[in-house]
Amino acid sequence: MVCIRKATMDDLLAMQACNLLCLPENYQMKYYLYHILSWPQFLYVAEDYNGRIVGYVLAKMDEESNECHGHITSLAVLRTHRKLGLATKLMNAAQAAMEQVFEAEYVSLHVRKSNRAAFNLYTQTLGYKIHDVEAKYYADGEDAYDMRKQLKAKPSHQHGHHHHHHGGECCSGEGRNTQVTQTRGDSKTESKASMKLESKAV
Amino acid sequence: MGASLPPKEANLFKLIVKSYETKQYKKGLKAADQILKKFPDHGETLSMKGLTLNCMDRKPEAYELVRLGLKNDLKSHVCWHVYGLLYRSDREYREAIKCYRNALRIDPDNIEILRDLSLLQAQMRDLTGFVETRQQLLTLKPNHRMNWIGFAVAHHLNSNVAKAVEILEAYEGTLEDDYPPDNERCEHGEMLLYKISLLEEYGFLERALEELHKKEPKIVDKLTYKEQEVSLLVKLGRLEEGSNLYKALLIMNPDNYRYYEGLQKCFVLYSENGKYSSDETDQLDALYKSLAKEYTWSSAVKRIPLDFLQGDKFREAAVNYIKPLLTKGVPSLFSDLSPLYDHPGKADVIEQLVLELEHSIRNNGRYPDRTEKEPPSTFLWILFFLAQHYDRRGQYDVALSKIDEAIQHTPTVIDLYSVKSRILKHAGDFSAAASLADEARCMDLADRYINSECVKRMLQADQVALAEKTATLFTKDGDQHNNLHDMQCMWYELASGESHFRQGDLGRALKKFLAVEKHYADITEDQFDFHSYCLRKMTLRAYVEMLKFQDRLHSHVYFHKAAAGAIRCYLKLYDSPLNSLTEEEDNTSKTPSQKKKMKKQRKADRAKKEAEEKSEESSASGNSKFGKRHIKPVDPDPYGEKLLKTEDPLSEATKYLKLLQKHSADSLETHLLSFEVNMRKQKILLAFQAVKQLLRLDAENPDSHRCLIKFFHKVDSMPVPVTDAEKLVWSVLEAERPFISQLQDKTLSEANKVFLVKHEDSLMHRVAVAEMLHVLDPTKKPEAVKLIEDSSNKVVPKNGALGPVMGWKLKDCIAVHKLLDKVLTDQDAALRWKVRCAEYFPYTTYFEGSHSSALQNSSNNLDGETTVNGDASHPGISGSESLATANGKLEAFKNLTI
Repeated sequence: MVCIRKATMDDLLAMQACNLLCLPENYQMKYYLYHILSWPQFLYVAEDYNGRIVGYVLAKMDEESNECHGHITSLAVLRTHRKLGLATKLMNAAQAAMEQVFEAEYVSLHVRKSNRAAFNLYTQTLGYKIHDVEAKYYADGEDAYDMRKQLKAKPSHQHGHHHHHHGGECCSGEGRNTQVTQTRGDSKTESKASMKLESKAV
Repeated sequence: MGASLPPKEANLFKLIVKSYETKQYKKGLKAADQILKKFPDHGETLSMKGLTLNCMDRKPEAYELVRLGLKNDLKSHVCWHVYGLLYRSDREYREAIKCYRNALRIDPDNIEILRDLSLLQAQMRDLTGFVETRQQLLTLKPNHRMNWIGFAVAHHLNSNVAKAVEILEAYEGTLEDDYPPDNERCEHGEMLLYKISLLEEYGFLERALEELHKKEPKIVDKLTYKEQEVSLLVKLGRLEEGSNLYKALLIMNPDNYRYYEGLQKCFVLYSENGKYSSDETDQLDALYKSLAKEYTWSSAVKRIPLDFLQGDKFREAAVNYIKPLLTKGVPSLFSDLSPLYDHPGKADVIEQLVLELEHSIRNNGRYPDRTEKEPPSTFLWILFFLAQHYDRRGQYDVALSKIDEAIQHTPTVIDLYSVKSRILKHAGDFSAAASLADEARCMDLADRYINSECVKRMLQADQVALAEKTATLFTKDGDQHNNLHDMQCMWYELASGESHFRQGDLGRALKKFLAVEKHYADITEDQFDFHSYCLRKMTLRAYVEMLKFQDRLHSHVYFHKAAAGAIRCYLKLYDSPLNSLTEEEDNTSKTPSQKKKMKKQRKADRAKKEAEEKSEESSASGNSKFGKRHIKPVDPDPYGEKLLKTEDPLSEATKYLKLLQKHSADSLETHLLSFEVNMRKQKILLAFQAVKQLLRLDAENPDSHRCLIKFFHKVDSMPVPVTDAEKLVWSVLEAERPFISQLQDKTLSEANKVFLVKHEDSLMHRVAVAEMLHVLDPTKKPEAVKLIEDSSNKVVPKNGALGPVMGWKLKDCIAVHKLLDKVLTDQDAALRWKVRCAEYFPYTTYFEGSHSSALQNSSNNLDGETTVNGDASHPGISGSESLATANGKLEAFKNLTI
């Protein structure tokens, strides 16, 4: 029915359009570019049989914190394409990449308190737990749940004996605090994840 | 820097530079003024002061000071560098490059300037320059990883793949065996994957595979590793290994259709056009049956066979596929199957089998041959499916009866209203479609998707103000009322622009179209920061892909629509300049009461506009009271009135036309617009180029025919050439004309007739011929009208794919009506046409069809607000579009889909 695959450059405009159709938290194209040029492994799209992008996940590594962890920036599935488990598939793909490539210890996300459908997906299907509540996180004043899911911390590959997260460096060489992260989009909305799907099923 | 200054001032100068880098501009400014008090002519200080002011939005002063500084110290690389930075900040990259080059002439080994120059060269795709600069940087600082990588990427971009590989291997040679340290493993792995992709690109497949295997432990991204490996294996013809690897990939992700495609290729069972011999079909069938056992949870293994199976096997597979999805209530089932409607016969099979399911459930509550009952929702989803099916077939009455039954069955399912709205849109009742979409929206106000859908319908119904009000329910961002533009919401801007255009508000239409154009310019600009970022982050494959993506960015459909829309606005502006346009009234098709209503509406609009302006002023001042830093500059021209005052609309149009010609050269529309623009500019040879392009792309297209005839008709009526230039044009056309097969040994009238004979059964071809008949000889108007009216709306089998549908399309019939009304100006014929089309399209408001909301507002359960708006849509649709009609290019403004 729907193809789940890594996003390419050519998908970005469609991802942005999908985001603008579904979610109140939006981003300029540069922020999408920033994601795909930093963590190309984390962007996945759901493409329907007509070649239309009907869902996506946009994710990143959080480089400002000491613990090496991933963060879901945004997840959306068109209302017309719910009940196919697309959100779950997209999330699983992104999480697997975080774990495999960057050895992320956990993955975090924000969700509107009122978004029960999304909350249920995160807690019941995907195994997220509430870590914290961020008051007035969203532009309209709504609170967000700060949610986390523990990933299996795998032993380091090739040299099995040492762990690789020295000094909180998250596999990032010089990638931190670059021009790009400073100039991207609107700082107020830049890292807000939210999603909308599976409203009351019949 | 600051060398000629005494120590105290030299320190102050350093402070300016530091303040600039840390964005403490006030501090920098103070320091600069301190120096200038003593040394008012100090060039570098003047320059730096200018650069600082540039960051404080004092641009004119900035340029003045930077230029003065340079004049005072032409030998300073700082002054040149600053001048370059200033140009760079204004996106004047070519000028900036010149400045950097001057700076380097004075200080050839200045790494900072070289680096800045290399970024500009990458941005401007000055690839030979980029290679040179990166080489210099590597020579100066060979111990920097980034300089090796940058040099390699430069060669790659400059199409010297072999050299790029060589550089990367030389770089690897500088590394210790135990490289990389743990915190650089990802980057190093990316570099290796980049190198291997280069080897693949260059055709060194064996070597690429060998290298991949050798470096496996150092490649962190295992999924990409496997994808790269399988790609190489297949290219090397090692298909068995390839198929095994694809199967392994499918275990990781059984929903990736590209893996199935790859697997088919490994079994030599793949065809681009999806056509297979019966033998191949059997093999494919067997393949997917075995895959279905392995990947039981994958829907792909069940869906893909529907593409290649035929006859009874197709029917069986389709039933098995559809039934559980109806039971589950998957709303996207129809859209999932819709590509099959292009396969001959499959739509009929689907219709038949879903009708059987409907019948069985309706009577027994269960599927045929089953004992267990289906839940009540199954019946609902069957009706939902059938409604979309009949909609697709153009049988709107059946579609509506199905969806109405579904709504009656379960009135709380929002999707039903969305689909009903879409059917009404297709049937031509935009205002009823909008009010239904609004009903759906109100059922879940927290869902932006149904809000967006509703906004789209409102714009199609030309309810622009209401649409904006509705959209902004989701676009408040802090104190900002509407961030649609900031967030680059292009579908909205395009749909809004098109609605304004239909309603004759060229200013606002232009405003929206140019806004979209600006987004694309901004996206092009966005890449700038990544030239250095990606070299550090080492995401080189993604970076190169991004550059290629940027190079074709302007061929994206949104840009195309925006540019075409803007060009159309400028053409219209040229044809009917500002003053006459606003007062232009188009009364022909309106009753006095409608006119009165319009007048009232306009008055209300004006009042509203004034009120809006006032409230904008007050909110702007409100902002400054709170001292917000983020006050956006107030748009000095919110309604595009200044845009309309352009001196030369055609040269504005040409700007966008050039972009279309460069990026959408294979689009018919590009050359139609080029024809229109260049005919008006009297650029005969350019118009001729457009005609030739049209003939190349589709000589049988009615619009191509129009342009061909119009062009030579114009040429034939030109006076005998006098000047040398005119004679030259003449001789080119003389030489070219015999090569146009349509015109060989024929007069234009004869060519017109030949075209008619060839396409006698097509409405739009007949209409084009009729229009040209009139152009060539205005006295033949009655003949032209008769030619149109003699067309017959036959049932076309359409390859049997869609089943019987009437041949004429609604938008074509509307275009024909406008032609009769405005171009051939035969009101009686237009009326006859309208009556006739009202029969064919009973839901269409434009023709006031018997089922349309135009005639039965009350019975169609519209609330008061939308009724008013519904009416407003009418003048919009029938508004003056003589230009578009004359050129038969309504095509471009057909429904906007995302």
